[in-house]
Amino acid sequence: MLAAAHTEGRRLAIGEDLTTDGLDRILEHEAGDLTCTVEAGVRLSTLQHALADHGQRLSLDPPGDPTVGALLARNLSGPLRHRFGAPRDLVLGVTLVLADGTIASAGGKVVKNVAGYDLARLVCGSQGRLALIARVSLRLHPLPKARQTLAIETDDAGTVVRSLLGSQLQPSALDVLHPGGILVLFEGSPRAVAAQVAAAQGLVGGVEVDFGAWDVSRRRQAAALERIRFDPGLLEKTLHELRNAVVRPAAGVAYSENDMPSNRLLQGEIEKLLVERIRSELDPNGVLAA
Amino acid sequence: MLELSRVLGAEHVITEPEQLRVYECDGLTGHRAIPELVALPASTEEVQAVVRACHRDRIPFVARGAGTGLSGGATPLAGGVVISLARMNRILEIDLGSQRIVVEPGVANLEVTRAVANDGYFYAPDPSSQQVCTIGGNVAENSGGAHCLKNGFTVHHVTGVTLVLPDGEVVELGGKSLDPEGPDLLGLIVGSEGTLGIVTSITLRLVRSPEVVQTLLAGFETTDAAGAAVSAIVAAGVLPAALEMMDRLTIEAAELAVAPGYPAGAGAVLLVELDGVSDQVEEDAAEVERICAECGAFEIRVATNDLARALLWKGRKSAFAAMGRVATDYYVQDGVVPRTRLPAVLRRIEELSATHGLRVGNVFHAGDGNLHPLVLYDAERGETERARDLAEAILDACLDAGGSLTGEHGVGMDKACSMPRMFSERDLETFGRVRRAFDRDGLCNPGKVIPTPRLCGEVPGPYRVHPLERMGVAERL
Ligand SMILES: Cc1cc2nc3c(=O)[nH]c(=O)nc-3n(C[C@H](O)[C@H](O)[C@H](O)COP(=O)(O)OP(=O)(O)OC[C@H]3O[C@@H](n4cnc5c(N)ncnc54)[C@H](O)[C@@H]3O)c2cc1C
Repeated sequence: MLAAAHTEGRRLAIGEDLTTDGLDRILEHEAGDLTCTVEAGVRLSTLQHALADHGQRLSLDPPGDPTVGALLARNLSGPLRHRFGAPRDLVLGVTLVLADGTIASAGGKVVKNVAGYDLARLVCGSQGRLALIARVSLRLHPLPKARQTLAIETDDAGTVVRSLLGSQLQPSALDVLHPGGILVLFEGSPRAVAAQVAAAQGLVGGVEVDFGAWDVSRRRQAAALERIRFDPGLLEKTLHELRNAVVRPAAGVAYSENDMPSNRLLQGEIEKLLVERIRSELDPNGVLAA
Repeated sequence: MLELSRVLGAEHVITEPEQLRVYECDGLTGHRAIPELVALPASTEEVQAVVRACHRDRIPFVARGAGTGLSGGATPLAGGVVISLARMNRILEIDLGSQRIVVEPGVANLEVTRAVANDGYFYAPDPSSQQVCTIGGNVAENSGGAHCLKNGFTVHHVTGVTLVLPDGEVVELGGKSLDPEGPDLLGLIVGSEGTLGIVTSITLRLVRSPEVVQTLLAGFETTDAAGAAVSAIVAAGVLPAALEMMDRLTIEAAELAVAPGYPAGAGAVLLVELDGVSDQVEEDAAEVERICAECGAFEIRVATNDLARALLWKGRKSAFAAMGRVATDYYVQDGVVPRTRLPAVLRRIEELSATHGLRVGNVFHAGDGNLHPLVLYDAERGETERARDLAEAILDACLDAGGSLTGEHGVGMDKACSMPRMFSERDLETFGRVRRAFDRDGLCNPGKVIPTPRLCGEVPGPYRVHPLERMGVAERL
């Protein structure tokens, strides 16, 4: 289909004219290696179910239930981003279909590998403009034996976040639900989780709440109008400018529920030019140009 | 030449044949070429000026950090220009509030941790060469180290770079915050082996020092048993900070060199380091001990303070240098295998070693399946060819197991011709397209990473003592 569009000079939008719904198999799950290889049309929820049977997970929890392909193409993440990163941090390899029909793989299925260009990372955030993602290998983590969420109400989120991040505690997630709230997730063995919660409470107070609290965070993230980035050290200033937002302070990312005066996501001119050059090398006829 | 002297100052342009010789190779000393000149710029603008001049006159150029690379990445092209980043060695900004540090590319890896250690932070990727290797080189190679299992590799710790493109344009990618808009160019640049441009400043993540660190050393009778313990630890959901293995030959060499006093008669030792919050580390340590015992460990030692820990690491850290005690020449391989296949691949290496009649020592990052088989040989007895065949056969065994050609040393010149064993023609052609988007004229570190017919007709030479080692600046830790 891509090859035909390429020769005929047609345009295709991945996710609309061309979907990966048929590519929905989990090809391999090497539980002992904590890796898996899936087709890009697999829904995240389907994958998580299959992995949970083996006590494992993909440590990505964005709002909604995207396919793995969309997860990469849109570089989606949720609260677990704090500890485990974005798709680009967990992807090990990809198979792509270029606009002219060329099938190309990069990376591999092992957790460490520096052979060749890292096209698996390159397509993260590419919004379907560089190539169709057909197959993905991913790094997995064990499901935690226990988890607990701490909720802190505060009108001084900056100070609370600073003391948590400056401590030796290792939360899996840390969201500021601006204004007024902070959620912290601890995962691990029951004893270690309890100890971390107690230590965190000693530091910043707060009460234990149900895990469902994170759904609120994800819902607000999904409803956000804009995503902005900020230097993590400038959290206080950023919170000052935001009205309602879900903020991931360590990453320096905020999902704002209000329009922001200046959109700070803009790519520089040269970067745009560079992306355009890559795009036109991979897709000279502009099939995926959208 | 005159132009460069004017921009950089005459003392920062090297053309003396004797001095040029220092730059003829990196840690892979079998490949050598004398560059036309070496430029030592001191700023992004000066790098830009050199690259522009090269671009205008169609002269190939290569960036160089400390020259510790093990794949010939920094080897110049005869007649080309070497752009040494040695003078760009300043720490530009420490921003603890953001948990970031901004450095120039010539800063040595260990300097980063040194700069923030007193504040309770460290820079996580720790290649064994960290005393000398530069952050610029680390970025180019996506370097790893013993402590990357839990914390990730260089690519997980670079949040922004300034990059001088092969045509001299300058682009800023990322910054102190994560998840920039658009395709992950930063992820592409890290690990691109200096073929997509020259990095002139780098923003890195700083990691908070852990509450506790605990190190275990377990002695096993066979690598099979130790390998099984590695798989079991990973499968149990324990994520150590480091998980390293040494086999009988490398233990013996280490004993000869630095006498770390590892368990007598061990056919393999595992070094496991756990860090984090104390309760978790305690429980994980108990679990690791239990697993090791179940897998047949006959002795387990635990270190909880720095001194005891240094003692346990001593043998591992000296392993490469120690090989000199048991062989005149050796060749380091860098294959990766899925962790569950470690015992099988180690057995296969043993078989291959026997059929080739050459000894192979294994000291490696077991936790992420990254093998460093050391093929021992004596060039004077004409064993070079056989050593190379054996090294290749070991790589094939890694690839057959579903692994990779290289886990951290890079493709460079050394493995460019092996790339077709892991990637199809289409894959390689796609890499070529991406490269063209950056470097239409093929001037930026040509001949590396992607195989070319010209290159792949040649035969690489064996490992020899690296000039830095000879100078006493670096040792193979
Ligand atoms: C004893 C010893 C132990 C080692 N241990 C490890 C280890 O544990 N883990 C590991 O991963 N590696 C290891 N290495 C390999 C090597 O140290 C790393 O690859 C290191 O990152 C190279 O850094 P360098 O500054 O020496 O780079 P160089 O060797 O000078 O260059 C390496 C590559 O980077 C490019 N480059 C350098 N600077 C820049 C820049 N500013 N912009 C763009 N490209 C640039 C060069 O063109 C070249 O392709 C070891 C090497 C030795 C000799």
